[in-house]
Amino acid sequence: MASIVGEVDNTMQDPRRRAPLVTGQHDAASITRSVASIAEIPVDQTPLGWYVGFGISATITAILGFAVFWLLFNGVGVWGVNNPAGWGFAIINFVFWVGIGHAGTLISAILFLFRQHWRTAINRFAEAMTIFAVICAGLFPGIHIGRVWLAFYLFPIPNQMAMWPNFRSPLLWDVFAVGTYFTVSLLFWYVGLIPDLATLRDRATNKWRKLIYGALAMGWTGSMRHWHRYERAYLILAALATPLVLSVHSVVSFDFAIAQLPGWHTTIFPPYFVAGAIFSGFGMVVTLAVPARQWCGLKHIITLRHLENMNKVILATGSMVGYAYAMEFFIAWYSGNSYEQFAFINRAMGPYAWAYWTMVSCNVISPQLFWFKAIRTSVPAMFIVSIFVNIGMWFERFVIVITSLTQDFLPSSWDYYTPTAFDWLTLLGSFGLFFTLFLLFCRFLPMVAIAEVKAIMPGAHGAHGHGHGDEHAEHAPAMEAAR
Amino acid sequence: MPSLIDESAGKTYWRSLEHRADSPEFRAFVEREFPGIVDQLNFHTSRRNFMKVMGASLALAGAAGCRWPREEIVPLARRPENRIPGEAAYYATTIERDGVGLGAVVTSYEGRPIKIEGSPEHSYSLGASDGLMQAEILTMYDPDRSGLPRHRGKASSWEEFRAALSGAHGRVAVLTTPTCVEALGGADRLKSVDLYFWAPADGNADNGLRDAGGNAVRPLLNFRNAKVIAAFDSDFLGAHPAAIRHARDFAANRGPEGMSRLYAIEGHYSLTGANADHRYAERPSAVATRLAQLAHALAEKGAALPAGLKSSEGAAQPAYMEKMADDLFHAGSHALVVVGPAQPPAAHAIAAAINKALGAEGETVSYIASPLAKGKSISDLAKRLDAGEVETLLIIGSNPAYDAPADLKLAEGIKKAKHTFHVGLFADETAQVCEWHAPLAHALETWAVYRAWDGRLCVSQPLIAPLFNGVTAAEAISIATGTAEATAYKIARDVLGSAAKLGSGDAFEGAWRKAVHDGVVREAAPAADVALDSTNWGALLGGLKEQKSGFELVFPPDSKVYDGRYANNGWLQELPDPLTKITWDNAALISPADARELKVGRDDLVTIEHAGAKITAPVYVMPGQARGTVSVALGYGRTFVGPVGAGVGVNVYPLRTSTALGFGVGANVTRASGGHELVTTQDHQAIDTAVGRAEAAHRVEELLVETPVAAFLAGKKGAEHATEADEHSENGGDHGGAEHHVALQLFAEHEYDGHAWAMAIDLTKCNGCSACVIACQAENNIPVVGKGEVKRGREMQWLRIDRYFKGQPEDADVAIRFQPLPCMHCENAPCEQVCPVAATVHDAEGLNVMVYNRCVGTRYCLNNCPYKVRRFNWFYNHHGPRHPRNHGVGPTYASQIQLTDLEKMANNPAVTVRSRGVMEKCTFCVQRINHAKILAKNEAVQHGTAYEIPDGEITTACAQACPAEAIVFGDMNDHESRVYGQFHGGRAYSLLDHHLNTKPRTRYLKKLTNPKDGAGEHKPAHA
Repeated sequence: MASIVGEVDNTMQDPRRRAPLVTGQHDAASITRSVASIAEIPVDQTPLGWYVGFGISATITAILGFAVFWLLFNGVGVWGVNNPAGWGFAIINFVFWVGIGHAGTLISAILFLFRQHWRTAINRFAEAMTIFAVICAGLFPGIHIGRVWLAFYLFPIPNQMAMWPNFRSPLLWDVFAVGTYFTVSLLFWYVGLIPDLATLRDRATNKWRKLIYGALAMGWTGSMRHWHRYERAYLILAALATPLVLSVHSVVSFDFAIAQLPGWHTTIFPPYFVAGAIFSGFGMVVTLAVPARQWCGLKHIITLRHLENMNKVILATGSMVGYAYAMEFFIAWYSGNSYEQFAFINRAMGPYAWAYWTMVSCNVISPQLFWFKAIRTSVPAMFIVSIFVNIGMWFERFVIVITSLTQDFLPSSWDYYTPTAFDWLTLLGSFGLFFTLFLLFCRFLPMVAIAEVKAIMPGAHGAHGHGHGDEHAEHAPAMEAAR
Repeated sequence: MPSLIDESAGKTYWRSLEHRADSPEFRAFVEREFPGIVDQLNFHTSRRNFMKVMGASLALAGAAGCRWPREEIVPLARRPENRIPGEAAYYATTIERDGVGLGAVVTSYEGRPIKIEGSPEHSYSLGASDGLMQAEILTMYDPDRSGLPRHRGKASSWEEFRAALSGAHGRVAVLTTPTCVEALGGADRLKSVDLYFWAPADGNADNGLRDAGGNAVRPLLNFRNAKVIAAFDSDFLGAHPAAIRHARDFAANRGPEGMSRLYAIEGHYSLTGANADHRYAERPSAVATRLAQLAHALAEKGAALPAGLKSSEGAAQPAYMEKMADDLFHAGSHALVVVGPAQPPAAHAIAAAINKALGAEGETVSYIASPLAKGKSISDLAKRLDAGEVETLLIIGSNPAYDAPADLKLAEGIKKAKHTFHVGLFADETAQVCEWHAPLAHALETWAVYRAWDGRLCVSQPLIAPLFNGVTAAEAISIATGTAEATAYKIARDVLGSAAKLGSGDAFEGAWRKAVHDGVVREAAPAADVALDSTNWGALLGGLKEQKSGFELVFPPDSKVYDGRYANNGWLQELPDPLTKITWDNAALISPADARELKVGRDDLVTIEHAGAKITAPVYVMPGQARGTVSVALGYGRTFVGPVGAGVGVNVYPLRTSTALGFGVGANVTRASGGHELVTTQDHQAIDTAVGRAEAAHRVEELLVETPVAAFLAGKKGAEHATEADEHSENGGDHGGAEHHVALQLFAEHEYDGHAWAMAIDLTKCNGCSACVIACQAENNIPVVGKGEVKRGREMQWLRIDRYFKGQPEDADVAIRFQPLPCMHCENAPCEQVCPVAATVHDAEGLNVMVYNRCVGTRYCLNNCPYKVRRFNWFYNHHGPRHPRNHGVGPTYASQIQLTDLEKMANNPAVTVRSRGVMEKCTFCVQRINHAKILAKNEAVQHGTAYEIPDGEITTACAQACPAEAIVFGDMNDHESRVYGQFHGGRAYSLLDHHLNTKPRTRYLKKLTNPKDGAGEHKPAHA
């Protein structure tokens, strides 16, 4: 495995020169080698660590399978949901996982359109993370309904009853939003993979790899015409995916904002949810990137600077989320609506105050540590903070869903929500599914967009296939300094 | 255990190794589970028998009665007249509880009774019913009922039982619940037996006056004439045999047109106390003294009380006495003093004297001779048993081994009799100690004649052949007295004929048919005299001792399982107690101050010692409970009961002695270690924080609007002058004129050309009795989910009654308010908008309907319902995994679909039985609406008349059951309808509407109170 050991600090902020985005002495071939070789390890040489990780994840996935089977066999009652709290862990997990996905789309689409070239090192697995997170998310609305076997009623399928779904319901919007999101994300990811799949096909030494990667590469030859089409398609998909970053979580937030429960029915929800989604997504990318670059020898591609940039995003979005928390309280007071006021005071001081303060500590306080460069660039520190962010964002959804539902309008209907073992197993299991998919991805697909990274290497020249069109002339002189 | 390969076992098919081996354990198991088939061990045969019984009842039910008294089975070759398959038929009958016949009209489909309503013909049901009466249908279909005679616990047969009982030696001692001569088969049959009565929760005050030296008379209370009522430890609205009638009469006097005032002096917080304008918490032992003080105060004002009473002087008179005495004195003949059965005879005598002195006798209270048969008390029986004087004991429908006073040790006494026979619905505790047991027929399975509270004769006719081959009380006595060939039908005809003097021949036949049809025969018994002239007042008053220290133990009959007889009834067990909201349990109710002193809180265990016995019970801290008083409801902790009642609650009977039936003094309450979680449907512990409590207290004021009647009338007068513009608003201008504004809304309003259904709930009339909840459960096939599920907050009742306390918990005068909450059927229904599959939609008549077929169970509607009236089927709820019948059966999934044929029969065929994963909620009884509409349309087509449904033709199950007529259902498009009038009567308001613009179709009428000096005391919340 070709890799450069040892970390190079490329996090300097010197306006006179650009920081390198790939460190060490690398050329196109070594980049290809370092990324592709991970996917090319023969089966019998698979590192033990992968087996251990995959074994654990797959076991947890099996637990998920059991938990879902038990749920479908017995009914939603195996969960802790009850009369005031019609939604529980399933919806919390759904929103959590959808939010995770957002970082991937933001990195791959928005940063692409904004020509943030540092994205190339992390976009592939961030996108993969998106796909897997959306798969995990998509599981929950499916299984949380009372009659899973009739889930197709949610789709506008023409039928003999001439019954359409209710287009006024935010849950229906959710179906469309998440469905669109998954489709576009998958296409975007796959299109981006094609050149690299062709690379793997070309490097393959065994028949099966050749066949499978060959089929997946869809006859890519790297011709000028292919590159041209590819670039256009990628740009269009990026443009399509960009609004989704904002819209999907806005629609998810409508599930709450359109309802009229105190604490749900607020106009701040769409921007607040989007900021929270990006926040949690970047938290998860850091959580995944830190071990991945370590174990897969990709430190020269996913450099400290990449991590620092992500930490900056975490700091920014974390502050936005903190602002939103404060603004919710302000508006509740300012509205003069006693139900609204109670909902928020109760969050901070009521029976679920522990969840609220967990959320605030993790989401508002912990990212503020990133104001310090020493912490921002310390790999262990950022890993810990990113874990806190993941926990905090899960609790944010818990606080929103549970506190509002358990104590709404009539004091007579207030009741406590206690999750059952099956709630916890399903949550745990969703992580198992996520990591199983992620480990498979790490093992069999190029974790970094090889073709794109080559374009931003310090030594890259205009002659490489993957340019950015009109940008070429403009940046040509600065090319050697890396953008 | 026999060898598994023993060929002589001869079973080719087997269900388990035990079955194959045919071990005695297995036989015992089958016998226990499926009595009567022990020799068949084959379920299909039993099913056939079942079908035979069904076929028989179907065939026979169609005739003049419901069941011809013929014994052979005839197929329905021709459709009998007036019988349309699928159409319900309604039959009048009578359900008896402790000697009081309650008139009922039972709905029957295809010979299958499914719903009990009160009989409008019956003067003490008046078309209404109570929860216990409604729940009788479930008891009748209870698969745990006793199915065959037993001898020493082993399956026997009717032939053997009859032979044993008819061959009984000596005079038979019969112990049963108090009842009239007619119900026991007539005076002739009773000549040859010794009759003893026992009912632990006997609400009759009949004996009170007799024991005070008067005649055995029964006071009939007329609350319609009563303007000022003082209830001394009397729960005349709750635990009283005539509570339905009382609730109706009392409610008639509660409204802006006229408002009575109720004082309640009691220790245990009762339903009556919750409806009082002034409630004073007093130790039960002090109540009679207070009554004597009242007499004294009234005498001072000039009331013509007997001389012996005038001189009565007690301890320091409480502050309220003067106010109350003044009020009663001025009410004169419209005053009424009521005393509860727990109080000593002296209290009853004083009350009778006060009522007489005030001129109320004949006006608010009248007396009839007790219509009960002359039976001796259970103490007499115990004495004779101990003396070995009883050779043959026949116990009918009573369970003394469980509920007799502890000092009588009746369970042991019974064993001293040579031959003991028990006839009961269940093989209960008493069946275990008796030599013989045989099943009793349920009230809906038999012919019988009872007497109503006012002495009227009532006829009970069978709706179905006895499902478990039971006999009636009269039949059992017939067997014992050697007239066994007499069937219940013949006995009923004979006793009614002689008691009501129906004549003979054709005249009799006509009169009999009319009596069966009406369910009631004739006017009440003639008035009787109390005859208290010779009362020795000095002795009576001298016997009153007010306790100042120590605990007093109160034994109120339970609002749900009564004295324990309904312990196996899931509807009642799951019904939240009206005051505590506890389900599936009883508790030791103590006051907050006592709890603080004992350092106990809710769910902590306390040990209660009384009369040399002790029990351990969980604490429920009850605001308003008198200090030094602990109440434990009767009827729990049954040991030989079906799986539903098994292990539920604490048995308090061991502390109850024959000298302290109402309450016991000198009890000792100490903290015990450990706890027991009480499950309530409101005020869940974990959600109860200081922030929430403060908010709830503040919020209730706007959710449950109440105002003193004087302030309301003054405000109304003012409002009439000020604005008339409100009249046009269909929304009623309910929020009190000034802040009236038109809320913007996103979607167009619905318009209604035909009907526009609506419901008004009068909070002034509602007394919280919860009959509506059970009526709704019976009508709409609402499942019982079990304690575990209720604990999770998954109770299924569509209609709940919210209970709020008013005032600080430690205040002596903490009040209780009730608010029934069915679906509001909002015009701008929050649930409708958010359902992604359009499974809950608005219909053309304003109903918010639930389409079960379409529902996929996202539960979004539940979340968005601000009233939280939607109920979700988390499991296959009709036999959910936490239902008691599933306990210990096996893994949760295996038993989900096991519902016996018998249990299924209790369902209303007009209402879908919801499956797992489906949302449900109150439908405004849409099946009743459509039934009436179809009839009206057919009528219009057939007669060429205009389609019309008169007001009152359709009523919901809750409104129909409500004894207080607090719920009114009708058509808002009919401007003559009662509901329209109520919406425009100045009292209507909509819950949360001003916050959410939901425009509910269910509206509340403000709660009016009538405190003595409270007029204009505080402004009404919304004016």
